[in-house]
Amino acid sequence: MLLFLSMTEANTDVIQGTLDMLILKTLSLEPMHGFGIARRVEQISRGVFKVNPGSLLTALQRLERAGWLDAEWRQTENSRRAKFYTLTRTGKKQLESETADWTRRASAIARLLKAEG
Amino acid sequence: MFLWRQLGYGLRNLAHRTKREREVAEEVEQYFEEAEAAWRARGLSAEEARRAARLEAGTMTAAKERVNLYGWENAVRSFAGDLGFAGRQLRKHPVFTATATLTLALGIGANTAIFTVVQSVLLAPLPYQEANRLAVLNTHWTNSGRTSPRVTGLDGVDVREQARSLEAVSLYSGGTLGVQLHDHSVYTELTFVDANFARVFSLQPVAGRLLTDGDAHRAALVSEQFARDNFGGAQAALGQMLHVENEPLEIAGVLPAAFDFPAKTQVWAAYPMRPESQSRTAFNYKAVGRLRAGVSFQTAQSELDGISRRLEMAYPDANRHKQILTLPLEKAVTGNVRPTLLLLWATVGLILLIACVNVTHLQLVRSMERQREIAIRKALGSSGWQVMRPVILESLLVSVLGGLAGVLLAFPAVHALVAMAPKELPRAEEIHLNGWVLVFTLGLAVLTALVSSLLPALRAARVDPAGALKYDASRGMTRHGAAKLRDGLVIAEVSATFVLTMGAGLLLHTMMTLAARDVGYETRPLLVVDADAPAHTEADSHRAVEQFNGLFTQLAAVPGVKHVAGIMGLPMGNYGSNGYYKTRGGLPVESGHDASSDFSVASPGYFETMEIPLKRGRDFNGQDTYESPFVAVISESLAKQSFGDADPVGKQIQCGLDSDKWMTVVGVVGDVRQDSPAENPGPTLYMPMTQHPFFGNQIHIVLRTEVKPLALMNTVKEKIAGVNPFIALRFTTMDAMVNKSLAVERFRAALITSFAGVGLLLAMLGVYGTMAYSVAQRTFEFGIRMAFGAEKGAILHTVLEHAAKLACYGIATGLVLSLLLARLVTSMLVGVRPTDPVSVGVAALLLLLTALAAAFVPGWKATHADPMAALRAE
Repeated sequence: MLLFLSMTEANTDVIQGTLDMLILKTLSLEPMHGFGIARRVEQISRGVFKVNPGSLLTALQRLERAGWLDAEWRQTENSRRAKFYTLTRTGKKQLESETADWTRRASAIARLLKAEG
Repeated sequence: MFLWRQLGYGLRNLAHRTKREREVAEEVEQYFEEAEAAWRARGLSAEEARRAARLEAGTMTAAKERVNLYGWENAVRSFAGDLGFAGRQLRKHPVFTATATLTLALGIGANTAIFTVVQSVLLAPLPYQEANRLAVLNTHWTNSGRTSPRVTGLDGVDVREQARSLEAVSLYSGGTLGVQLHDHSVYTELTFVDANFARVFSLQPVAGRLLTDGDAHRAALVSEQFARDNFGGAQAALGQMLHVENEPLEIAGVLPAAFDFPAKTQVWAAYPMRPESQSRTAFNYKAVGRLRAGVSFQTAQSELDGISRRLEMAYPDANRHKQILTLPLEKAVTGNVRPTLLLLWATVGLILLIACVNVTHLQLVRSMERQREIAIRKALGSSGWQVMRPVILESLLVSVLGGLAGVLLAFPAVHALVAMAPKELPRAEEIHLNGWVLVFTLGLAVLTALVSSLLPALRAARVDPAGALKYDASRGMTRHGAAKLRDGLVIAEVSATFVLTMGAGLLLHTMMTLAARDVGYETRPLLVVDADAPAHTEADSHRAVEQFNGLFTQLAAVPGVKHVAGIMGLPMGNYGSNGYYKTRGGLPVESGHDASSDFSVASPGYFETMEIPLKRGRDFNGQDTYESPFVAVISESLAKQSFGDADPVGKQIQCGLDSDKWMTVVGVVGDVRQDSPAENPGPTLYMPMTQHPFFGNQIHIVLRTEVKPLALMNTVKEKIAGVNPFIALRFTTMDAMVNKSLAVERFRAALITSFAGVGLLLAMLGVYGTMAYSVAQRTFEFGIRMAFGAEKGAILHTVLEHAAKLACYGIATGLVLSLLLARLVTSMLVGVRPTDPVSVGVAALLLLLTALAAAFVPGWKATHADPMAALRAE
């Protein structure tokens, strides 16, 4: 089982390291469906991150299985049935730790780059 | 937590697969709809919006597939799919499936059965408390290298008192004895034990109490079985009286039915802690002990070495070169059967190997048939692992089927094995299939699957699509590598079978040699009565001998009886003795190396009854009484050993059996093989019963009959009961005793022979399979040759010649292997050398014939290849 999991993860996109965090961050604002998440990520990153639905929906499954998200079928505003994802309490904790981790790394890289420059 | 959730999701998805797929589909569709809607909102037309969404996000199908693939359950599902495919393939090829399953069932069944015995007898701990701390003491002579499983009473006591590594040491002795109950007597395994015995084994009685030192010669313990059989139950047995050798013993306690040491003992009679035999040269006792917790056998042994050295200094005569050895009880109990069981294990291992080769073979043939299929799958992009997987799964399935069938076969096989096993097989009642055996079988099944599918799977992985699609064997084109591989497998199989057959041949030849051997007396028809007359005092013994002499006269008068005699020391009998003797006027002996001999005590007429030839002098007669000068009869070997070519009659001889009076040699008789036909004839010293009454109350009565010996049983029983109803009796025939003494050899030979039979059957199947396959492949070639006028004989000859060639290679390899392995069985051969030409010849011939017979049917088919049909098949 673990073997299989690691296989799937190895197959995901280059932004793998950050995709999970981006999803969790997006969902921390409000519950959303798949396309909603994709659009929000794209908008906020000003088009830097484009999310492929295959990767996104797989990542959502993974996060749901990890217990960080809850999923529920609901009506959208244009009364279409859609699967909405909500951040759970463990998901929130995960987001916090990932954010802290990311910030630490990013600032370290930034310092390095500055020193080089 | 995480694992549970993963498991939950996965299982739910496995159970409701379509539901999940539907949900994924809906989610993906909704995503794309939203995406299109977003594009439309930016002002694109419906058509343009759809294209833009596709351009950005790929196709819906790809996304669905990707999402659906997530989760461990998909690996399970694809495995189940492959397994189902393998199952369907097997069902489509019933002949292949049945042959392979049966072959493996035979191999795995034989292995399971033998492993059951090996596990129960050799591997499972003895059924005693902390059995790994139980030890036995042996006496070893460092100069001669000889080891006796016994100790002298005084050596035993010294070890008990001095060895700190042993928590308790118990001395015991005994054997089969008559036990007198209130109205009758029974023959029982009886052991005299000291008060330490129960401590050594940490025994708890089921009723009553254990023995104390004060119980010596007064009390006894009995087994639960004995209590039930004779008194109706454990409680009822308490306080009852037994008589052993005319000594009254009260039953003080009952031991649990599961306790069985020494093997089959029913009565444990109390002996004093201080042994009665005050000697350091009479090996009257066996000794068991319990190691102190945490002490290893090595530590104990080095302590015993020190004690042995001290004893050697203190008693330079008696204890010279003597070393007390300690070894695990387990080894002492099972040591004798270990080589036989290991041999059997190796044999069934070989059978399994042959079975594996056969299955490999069948698999290869199958995988060659589907080479085109594999080639196509590879051409379409399957990886090596993907094409290997069905091959391996198929063999796994076949092996599991074979394993199940094997376990089913093993049940009756174990039953038959135990029934066939010689009485000497220790722990026979503990043998049963259990969890360990099933784990072993499962492991074996998986192993055979791997071994037998290795070659076919590798070949499948190596298939070169272009090449395989070009070749087509049915059109007369064969790939040489494939044929060579199959030939190699047949050769391997034949050589393994040769080793088996050769082994069986050697053991059978040994059996035949033993059965045909001159044992020194005539075994048929001879009724043997074990008779134990109770005697305790010297007067008792004299009376018993007198009674027996009267009995012999009465029995001789029974119609159908030719001769009657009594003997202590019957060949293969229960009672016997041996030891050193001295002569006057004989050859000189080195000091400290007295000549030794078997001792027998016989009544007049014994040699005549047994038909042991009297070579010189006379037999015992009525004039040889306790009061008259002591006389002896010696065997030819003894005469040669001590008197050389001189006439021994009239010479003086003395032994320490029961009196040190000098005896005059009055006769010389032929040698006998004392312990079994496998033994060499050796020196025996015969003494008259009347002069050695202490050894004259436990005897065998032998009756040379004119009718079937056992037909006289009832008459003889009545006559003896008429004289003394307290004589414990048991009946058998000399023939049966000889047979029994060869039980181990027979067991071994019978098993190995039947395994060799199975091996031959498998080899035959193997050769048949190859030949049938290659003939089928060459039908086209044969058709053409026939069309050009080839003789049928010539074609048959081609096929048979091929088979014979393979068989000869196999036999040659097998012969080399047998010679290398021969030393493993040397100790089991009697009168036959490991290179026995008869066995080699028979085995070689048998294998050649088997190979030819197996090749004949396909060969005959080849000669009936219809040229037109073969060509039209194009």
